[in-house]
Amino acid sequence: MMGKTSISRRGALALMGSAGMTLAMPAVLRGRAEAAETAQMPEMTEVPEALKGSGVVRVVGFGGTGQTAIREAYFKPFEKLTGIKVIDSEGSDPNKVKAMVETGNVEWDVFLTSMATISRLRDQGDYFEKVDLDLLDTANIPTQNYQEYGVDTHAFAHVIAYRSDVFPEGPKNFIEFWDTTKFPGPRTMPTGTGGFAIPPLVAAVIADGVPLDQVYPIDIPRAFKSLDRIRGSVSKFWEAEAMPIQMLVDKEVPLAIAGSGRVVQLQRDGVPVKISWHGGNLVNNSWAIPKGAANAENARKFIAFATLPISQARQSFLIPNGFVNRAAAQYIPANILAELPTSPGNIEQLVPFDYLWWKKNKPQTERRWNEWILQ
Amino acid sequence: MVPATQVTAGISPPGAQERRRLYRRILFAEQLRYALLVAPLIIYLLIFYIYPVASMLVRSFIGDGGFTLEYFERLLETPVYWRVFSNTVLLALATTLICLALAYPLAYAMSRASSTRAAIMFALVLLPFWTSILVRSYAWMVLLGRSGIFNDWLSRAGLIKEPLNLLYTPFAVYVAMVYVLLPFMILPLYSVLRSIDPSLLRAAEGLGASARQIFFHVVAPLSKPGVAAGCLVVFILALGFYITPALMGGQRDVTLAMLIAQQLDMYEWNFAAVLASMLLFFSLAVFFIFDKMIGIERMFAR
Repeated sequence: MMGKTSISRRGALALMGSAGMTLAMPAVLRGRAEAAETAQMPEMTEVPEALKGSGVVRVVGFGGTGQTAIREAYFKPFEKLTGIKVIDSEGSDPNKVKAMVETGNVEWDVFLTSMATISRLRDQGDYFEKVDLDLLDTANIPTQNYQEYGVDTHAFAHVIAYRSDVFPEGPKNFIEFWDTTKFPGPRTMPTGTGGFAIPPLVAAVIADGVPLDQVYPIDIPRAFKSLDRIRGSVSKFWEAEAMPIQMLVDKEVPLAIAGSGRVVQLQRDGVPVKISWHGGNLVNNSWAIPKGAANAENARKFIAFATLPISQARQSFLIPNGFVNRAAAQYIPANILAELPTSPGNIEQLVPFDYLWWKKNKPQTERRWNEWILQ
Repeated sequence: MVPATQVTAGISPPGAQERRRLYRRILFAEQLRYALLVAPLIIYLLIFYIYPVASMLVRSFIGDGGFTLEYFERLLETPVYWRVFSNTVLLALATTLICLALAYPLAYAMSRASSTRAAIMFALVLLPFWTSILVRSYAWMVLLGRSGIFNDWLSRAGLIKEPLNLLYTPFAVYVAMVYVLLPFMILPLYSVLRSIDPSLLRAAEGLGASARQIFFHVVAPLSKPGVAAGCLVVFILALGFYITPALMGGQRDVTLAMLIAQQLDMYEWNFAAVLASMLLFFSLAVFFIFDKMIGIERMFAR
């Protein structure tokens, strides 16, 4: 009983997330309009013969403006150029995939998830079909961004965001973010237990002086010691992505660790906020195919199509998420490129999320976090 | 009539038996009719309620290699879960008592008010009910924030210089939870208070009882079932709260429902099931105790 209600309540939190995104929707459109003055959204005119086919593919995303963007960026050209019809739905959830595969009632052919989830579910059983690496644009996608059972796509970064009306020159890195004399005021950062991808422990060790390339393996005791120093100034360890954004808007906090895409949307909305990329946590969404998907072949084609340079550029053009295909950068207008986590100049400052380390250490860090937070 | 009696008297034993059989048949048909009437509900509950709960319970005992107590051992070995559990129970208990303290006078006033005024009060109590809990929690965030309405008033009145930290504190959690759960306390209280026969009060008055005595010796004892029903409902609902503490709570306001969500985030269904069972059995135990003490039938009967 509780498990079930709990899911729907988490759904409600997610809903708040997408509600936040919906509020930011005009910003997306405005950003698009501004960008349109300088450049058009790139269009694809042809696809490799191997991607063409027939029938349908059932694609599920996370909903919200992200869904609107991928519909425009991928689904429409994919249908036109390959002849495969996309049936799209919202609410991708690995717990649902798990249940679908276990009950033999697989309703999705390809779903948005993450490498961390794929890896973790694969430890529990046989939940995935292989992707087709031969179809993939591997020349332009870094090797760490694909594997047999999944291909990365949209990139997100959790970065320092600050109100520039409070601090014209905000903290440049986490050492300064931790400095409460130079930057007084309440802060917000992600909770140490929320999902897989947004650990404040990375920020904590960087704040304690660990260089970016030595963050992993994370020195857990050192991270918690560092968190001890900042804890008194953290008014809220947030649970949902929309929370830090709302807190910045309401001036509840002048300093936050938040998703860069949403912060960019705030900027486009005219809220005085700035980003410091240094030490941010870079994480990707990934496409994967559930075991027993009826249209697995079309799903493989879809994944290959959606990670082509122009597809990726279109997605970043519509919504300020990063791209995984390095060749996408040349199709994106400079003003938009500067706002993306994966652009040259930004990506070097970020720490890629080490999902294998987290898979191994998450239960331990979670337990420790729970003990720490109740102290 | 008389001959008939004589006749039946003569063959009395078989007649009585037949009557009993007939009576039993009617009774059976009656029962069957009731059974058919409740059947859709029973089937619905079996499929959508009993089955999921049962499979959840089973999951807490089944690991990769079949039957296991591994997850329960993990629960026993990790004191932090017990602390969160006791925090959750205390939060639910405090919420229940605050609700009772606030709801009783209001329900009493409603039960004594004229029907028009009672209807208006009813509407005011029920109105927030029709708004999503998320929106209502969010409204409190707007009110309690550092640049929110309360802080604005207080600073304009010159009472404070620095904004108070109201949001992201246990205080905010209590305020919002009490607000959300208050109608669940008011309704059963109102129902019971309303059904108290006014002539009893008049009789007490006539016998020289003071208002205080009337309340403590007549009204309070008679409203016990309503108090128990309201407390039971509010307490059990408060135990499972997730959104409000997650959105409005401070660092330490972790509830068991939040821990369950954490486990689901890691696809740890078995351990999530153990934690959920813990809540379920605790709720059942509370229900059982209330049943023994007050009697569930009395609590919800009118």
